[in-house]
Amino acid sequence: MIVADRKPLEQISSMIEGNNKILIVGCGECVSVCMVGGEKEVEILASQLRMAAGKEGKKIEIGEATLERQCDKEYLELLKDRIENYDVVVSMACGAGVQFLAEMYDHKIVLPATNTRFIGVTEGEGVWAERCRACSDCVLAETGGICPVTICAKGLLNGPCGGTNDGKCEVSKEKDCAWTLIYNRLNKLGRLDSIREIFPAKKYNVQTRPGRRIHEAFKEKE
Amino acid sequence: MQYAKKLLDEVGIDSRRLEMFNMGASDAQKFTGAADEMTERARELGPNPIKAKNRES
Repeated sequence: MIVADRKPLEQISSMIEGNNKILIVGCGECVSVCMVGGEKEVEILASQLRMAAGKEGKKIEIGEATLERQCDKEYLELLKDRIENYDVVVSMACGAGVQFLAEMYDHKIVLPATNTRFIGVTEGEGVWAERCRACSDCVLAETGGICPVTICAKGLLNGPCGGTNDGKCEVSKEKDCAWTLIYNRLNKLGRLDSIREIFPAKKYNVQTRPGRRIHEAFKEKE
Repeated sequence: MQYAKKLLDEVGIDSRRLEMFNMGASDAQKFTGAADEMTERARELGPNPIKAKNRES
C-alpha cells in the first residue's frame, strides 16, 4: 500500500488562506488504512479547520466527502456536481490521487493535505515500513524475498558493504543491514549459492518516468 | 487521548481542556473530584476561545 503522512495543520491552513468554501476529499484506499486520509481523518481535519477559523472569528464552510478511491475516474466523477459549490478542494489522498483529482477538475484549485512517503506494509498497529521502491526490475527471486534496493540504505545490489555491523547498518543502529537479512533468509531457504551471484549494474533505463503500463488486452484500443 | 490532545494543541485550543478519568459507576467521590478539577481548570484557562470570538462578532 501507499503510505503517507498528514501535513501539519499550519501548512494546510496557509494553503487555504483566503478561501471560504473548502471541500475536503478523503480516499478509502491506502491512506485510509494508514490512518491519514480516510473518512475519519477527513472529519478530524474538517473539525480542526472549523475550530481554527472559529478562533480567528472567521466564517468558513467546509464540506466533507470520502471516495472509494481517488485514482479512478469513476469515483472522482461522483464529485462532479458537489465540487462546483466550493472555492478549493483539499485532497487527503496520495500524490497520485491529488493529481488525478486536479486533472479531472482542472478548473478548481486542488491542494494536498498529505505528504506521500512510500510503498510499504503494516508492521504492527500504527507502524508502516517501506518495502518497495517500484524500480521496475524486481530482484526478489535472487535475494530471498528481501529487497536490497529498498532495505539497504545504499540500495546495493551486491552487498553487504563495509558498514555492516552485527546485522545493523552503519547509517543507524535502528536499521537492519539488508544484506545480513538476505544472507540469513537464503541460509534458511538452503539457497546460499544465490548470494554468490554478482548482479550487473542496475537497469535504470526501465525506470522511465512517468511510468505507464497498458494491459495486453487494451493495447489495440490505445 | 494523547492524539486528541495533540489535535487540539495544533488548533491552538489548550489541550488541558480535555481529560479522561477512569472510574466505576459507584465512584461518586472520584466523579466529583474530577468535576471539581475540570471546573477549576476551566476557570483558570478562561472562556473557550472559539465561543469568545463568536460572541464578539
